[in-house]
Amino acid sequence: MLQVGGLAQLVVAGLTVGSGYALVALGIHIILRATRVINFAQGEFVVLGGLIAYTCVTRLSANAFVALALATLAGFLLGLCYERFVLRPAARVGDLAVTIATIGTVSILLYGHALIWGSLPAPLPPFSGTAASTVELAGASIQVQSLWVLGLLALALCALYAFFERTTFGKAIRAAANSPTGAQLVGIDVGTTRMMSVGISIALAAFGGTIIGPITLVGGAGGVAIAIKGFVGAVVGGLDSPVGCALGGLVVGVVEKLLEGAFSYGIADPIVYSLLLVALLVRPQGLLGRRAALRD
Amino acid sequence: MSERLRADARALPVLALAVVAYGFAFHENATLVQAGTYGAIYAIAAIGLSILLGNVAQISIGQAGFFGVGAYTLAYVTTNAHWNFVPAALLGTALAAALGLAVGVVALRFRGHYLAMATLAFGLIVVGVFHQSAALGGANGISDVPFPQFGALTISGLAAYWFSWAMVALVAVVSLNVLRGRTGRAFEALRNDELAAEVAGVPTRRTKILAFAFAGALAGFAGSIDAGYLGLVTPDTVGVQLSIDLLLMVVLGGVGGVSGAIFGAALISIVNLYGHDLENWRFVIYGVLVIVVVTLFPGGIVGSLGRIAARRRGSREAPPIEQQSRAPAAPAPGRAADAGAAPIEWLRVRDLVMRFGGLAAVDGVSFALEPGRLTSLIGPNGAGKTTVFNAICGIGRVASGSIAIAGRDVTGWQPHRIAGLGVARSFQNARLFAEMTVLENVMAGAYRLEDTSFVADLLALPAARRGERVARERAREMLRLLDLERIAAVPAKELAFGDRRRVELARALASEPGLLLIDEPAAGLGASERARLRDDLLGLRARGMTLLLIEHDMRLVMEISDRVMVLRFGTLIADGLPAAVRADPHVQAAYLGAAG
Repeated sequence: MLQVGGLAQLVVAGLTVGSGYALVALGIHIILRATRVINFAQGEFVVLGGLIAYTCVTRLSANAFVALALATLAGFLLGLCYERFVLRPAARVGDLAVTIATIGTVSILLYGHALIWGSLPAPLPPFSGTAASTVELAGASIQVQSLWVLGLLALALCALYAFFERTTFGKAIRAAANSPTGAQLVGIDVGTTRMMSVGISIALAAFGGTIIGPITLVGGAGGVAIAIKGFVGAVVGGLDSPVGCALGGLVVGVVEKLLEGAFSYGIADPIVYSLLLVALLVRPQGLLGRRAALRD
Repeated sequence: MSERLRADARALPVLALAVVAYGFAFHENATLVQAGTYGAIYAIAAIGLSILLGNVAQISIGQAGFFGVGAYTLAYVTTNAHWNFVPAALLGTALAAALGLAVGVVALRFRGHYLAMATLAFGLIVVGVFHQSAALGGANGISDVPFPQFGALTISGLAAYWFSWAMVALVAVVSLNVLRGRTGRAFEALRNDELAAEVAGVPTRRTKILAFAFAGALAGFAGSIDAGYLGLVTPDTVGVQLSIDLLLMVVLGGVGGVSGAIFGAALISIVNLYGHDLENWRFVIYGVLVIVVVTLFPGGIVGSLGRIAARRRGSREAPPIEQQSRAPAAPAPGRAADAGAAPIEWLRVRDLVMRFGGLAAVDGVSFALEPGRLTSLIGPNGAGKTTVFNAICGIGRVASGSIAIAGRDVTGWQPHRIAGLGVARSFQNARLFAEMTVLENVMAGAYRLEDTSFVADLLALPAARRGERVARERAREMLRLLDLERIAAVPAKELAFGDRRRVELARALASEPGLLLIDEPAAGLGASERARLRDDLLGLRARGMTLLLIEHDMRLVMEISDRVMVLRFGTLIADGLPAAVRADPHVQAAYLGAAG
């Protein structure tokens, strides 16, 4: 029973950090669809979102949910600026330029965070109860915040689905991503839809950083690792499939926690990164993706 | 690119002077000497990345991984096995090169962002392995690495400064040799147009792998020197931050070639020294700089300065037409042209089927070409003509049937191997190497005539110069033949449409093909250009070349063809003398009639 409980505990812990990866994977997917670019700085925006929420809580004594809303909003606005002032100018030069510009952004944010907030990670208060609050489930004791994370992830996914499938603007974004020229011909302002896409993507990153913040701590230098693990999730699930991205992120989280449980903390990361190479080589379209989507 | 290379080489003496002046001016300041030494060490790794990124257009954010392999190898064998510096550094470089080879093979599967992610993951995996390996000291790494020792001379302090920069000079010279030679032309060709390069005979896959191995070797070499200089190596010093720093140095200095990388590495190393108190600010500013440089000055600092200097000198000075080749280029013995003795059947296509999805674009086509004849392949749009060409060149998957070139079954071969047998082609939309000059484009076509090895290129051996001369003379001869000498130094992207076509023809001819495939050469040409094309084609036939032509201009086809084949919906519906084909009622109904 203890064995099963331990396993369940690891799986839930994995799903919790995996929720962060899932949101990163989705964010990478949205930016990739809209701008044909993989955003290396996605993980740094996750960290930044958590830090903004941290400031809201500590300085403005905001309630956790207000902090979440503010961080998400700030992420959205930052995303708009990011597209307009970094991605778009670099795109005029070429693909390599954009990739390099997103890496430059990693440097700015990574060290910018340390400048403003210091380099030591800090805990974000949980959304309810205390950090030690747990519930018993199938013999495993699970942090209450984990339940918040999974619930809020589900909420975000539903909201995204409704936005992209049910609203005209969401459909316009998808149309512009599928065929920029075609979209322009029917009167869609592709520049705006691109900006909105990046805004939504970064908002998701900030949202993710805030909800997992109480568990993983916020700040520090983990952004690059988060970005890569999110990317691994996207690749495993299928870069062109939103559902695949979300599931892939969760899978990566669970695999990571199981490896940490089975071996040691330091060995999990290299194995997860190797998973990326294997996934890219063996099934480049991902579990749920289509092969044709890879051609570019 | 040769203008770019020449500018690159011109910048080197200036940099060398600066290095020497710096060494003498600050020889008493240990901190500055140290910063200068770091500059040299990073310059070596940065040169490799610069070539990978700028000359081959392959990104890597994992160069620190190779650097780490070099550093750890040296540290391990000098401390545990008491090797000397030189064999240890050579081993470190060789292991990094081998790893680069492996990464290159994997990298063939990725492009652009995917490659960036994959190499980033590679770098992280390598660091993770270093962290986990008890034999390599885990998180503490390996310390007490002895200083390099040459006789009584210990390489540390000021000696390390001079030693490291001497190594940079060596690496710079060797790298320029590579870029100038056949390998460099292959890099440039594949960067401009991978498919056209492959069809021109450049083994693009092997060339890419080579570039990764070379960049890996340089990073490994730099790592070896670094470990010997610092006396220790830890996982953290060879982490992602180093990969990003290297990228930053190359982007700031200017991607491609050597001088930008050297400048960028030196600059960052010195700024790092002064920026230590502003640890975080420094990297924020670097990030901003990278974005600004990459979007506003894609050539980097050195590249932009070079461009300004060139403009001041009166723009593109026509490069001297070096030694108007005295002897006409020797006809390549035993190759394509000497079909005189026993006529070779250049091409035999048997029951060829090519599919796209469920659709058979080519459906059971069979024909053979007689040597020295001009055969035209005609048919309505979408009949599958270009697909037949592609199949002959090795582009696309043959669903069934076979293709034999000069008696050898080449079905499923890679395009460059087929080109190596003496098959050349032009494309419907003239795929030139846009950033290379006309002469360089045509020289790239002569790739298969050169047999220079990479090592010969590396060391600029006489064989490399001989190969270069063969290619250059062959190219000049082709330019003369097609009356293109006047535009030899013009970059291909600036050419008028008609000239593009002729340059592409010259490039195809430069390989001394036995079989030449020409895809719609007359499309878009004016009357006089068309007349010239007709003369060119007849001239080539008179030289004994076997020609296969796709063309819609019926007057031209009927006038010059020895034989006409008509393709419709992927099958041949007529095949024979022009007059007979023209009279064939099927053809008239299906094609000529429809065309009016």
